[in-house]
Amino acid sequence: MSGTAQRETVSFWTSLHTGKYFDSLIQLTIAVVTLLLWEWGSNALKAEFWISRPSSVAVELMRWARSGDLASDLRLTLMEAGVGFLIGSIAGALVGFTLGWVERLGKLLEPFVLSLYTLPKIALAPLFVLWFGIGPMNKIMFSAMLVFFMVFFTTFQGTRQVDRDLVANARMLGANRWAIWTKIAIPYAAIWVFTGIRIGLPYALIGAIVGEFVAADAGVGFRIKEATSFFNTAAVFAGLVVLMVISMILLGLLKLIEMRALRWQTASGIIEPEVTP
Amino acid sequence: MANPDAARTAAQGSDMLIEFNEVVARFGSLHAMGPTTLSVRRGEFLAIVGPSGCGKSTLLNMVAGTLNPSSGSVLYNGKKVDGPNSDVGYITQKNYCVPWRTVEGNVRMPLELRGMARGEMDERVRFALAQVGLTGFEKAYPKQLSGGMLQRVMIARTLAYGPHVYLMDEPFGSLDAQLRMRMHAKLLDLWQQTGATFVFVTHDLQEAITLADRVVVMSRRPGRPKLIVDIDLPRGRDVVDIQADPAFGAYVKQLWHALDLH
Ligand SMILES: Nc1ncnc2c1ncn2[C@@H]1O[C@H](COP(=O)(O)OP(=O)(O)O)[C@@H](O)[C@H]1O
Ligand SMILES: [Mg+2]
Repeated sequence: MSGTAQRETVSFWTSLHTGKYFDSLIQLTIAVVTLLLWEWGSNALKAEFWISRPSSVAVELMRWARSGDLASDLRLTLMEAGVGFLIGSIAGALVGFTLGWVERLGKLLEPFVLSLYTLPKIALAPLFVLWFGIGPMNKIMFSAMLVFFMVFFTTFQGTRQVDRDLVANARMLGANRWAIWTKIAIPYAAIWVFTGIRIGLPYALIGAIVGEFVAADAGVGFRIKEATSFFNTAAVFAGLVVLMVISMILLGLLKLIEMRALRWQTASGIIEPEVTP
Repeated sequence: MANPDAARTAAQGSDMLIEFNEVVARFGSLHAMGPTTLSVRRGEFLAIVGPSGCGKSTLLNMVAGTLNPSSGSVLYNGKKVDGPNSDVGYITQKNYCVPWRTVEGNVRMPLELRGMARGEMDERVRFALAQVGLTGFEKAYPKQLSGGMLQRVMIARTLAYGPHVYLMDEPFGSLDAQLRMRMHAKLLDLWQQTGATFVFVTHDLQEAITLADRVVVMSRRPGRPKLIVDIDLPRGRDVVDIQADPAFGAYVKQLWHALDLH
């Protein structure tokens, strides 16, 4: 009896040390310690004006939520980022695929693509105010533009690397022009579109936030900027916390989609036959 | 196998299915192969041996239409090859499995491209995978497979659509000796049943003699045929017994010398 109990204890401890639980425990500890250090340091160093402290941030979050502004700010910012993301990734995928697949076109336009690549796109924000005003349209377009370039560059660079021999091989297998597109080109480009989308997703949010920094009267970015001008550091951090949560949710979602769509990439393990025919 | 009439329906016109006329391959300043003049008869099993880099794969690429000769011409069925030739089944050295399809999906691809009915597709895919011993691996992705298995997927993919001509570029190089012998037997069956034409590149002399009607020995780069040997061993060959035939040993010796003395 006692022998069994002992063995169970041992296996419990081993699993704690080696298993997932143990890692999660460490991670949780790090998070709690960080928060405590922050709270304590803020008091000890009299630095609340600069770095606020977790308890004040929590209070600020509650106030923001209760007033109903959090919901409407979130809705606005997410709408801007979401629509921008859709427009940007669709346009980026289409243009990137076309230039990447049609070799001649890609070569012809390469210098222009490169010159755009090096331009810091954030610098265009003021211009977008001029073009699209200070309403949500400005943020949507700005966010779409950032996402567009990310998806476009990735898809373009990826698609043009397609093994032309693979295409010739498919033609030998009987593929006509149409089949080359549907069975080779598009599935191949999809890998890169996905990669581009993963890289581009955070930029959708960046676009919306920067747009709100430049000119706005609502939205998460606007709240952060407003709080800064009132030296309300706790509210600034509250804004940052909200942004962090949103982007983590978005990335999680993307991972999920990717795992389903690109199963052939995530499938793991080498399979070796044990018997020969 | 799948369509025994393949070669017969193609059988029209001349006795020669593939003709290389004074074919030369140059890559930049590299004179890789030729001038080569060589014909492949309809329904014959031709093996090509030669030192590596002498242009064996290059010859096959030209029949498949993925490479144009720098000079000279390649005729297939009396017509000049220009562009990918969908009449041939080409088992390349490099594997061209598409990574996003499963084993089964890869074998199915040429059948889809030929607009085959679903039931027949399933049947052929199952049969072809069984032939190369990949039953049970239908749902695996190429990324999960070893080189030898990928090679077998390529072979199955070709078997499944039953082309008139099989171009095989060292197809069994990555298989172990036992499996290779079994594949030899299957290949001879396939050849006998379909009457298809085989052009088989290898640097294994025993393999060449076991399988072929004729063996072409290529010289060093720039490769050109330096010896063509008719293998006069009776058909209905047994891949094991044939090695005990005294004539077999004589052929090995003859080919070995041709390869060795430059
Ligand atoms: N696409 C290519 N570009 C440049 N050189 C090539 C190309 N294909 C083949 N070669 C060269 O031509 C020669 C013959 O190649 P290959 O036909 O592959 O020889 P092998 O007899 O080993 O199959 C080699 O030296 C190879 O490097
Ligand atoms: Mg080769």
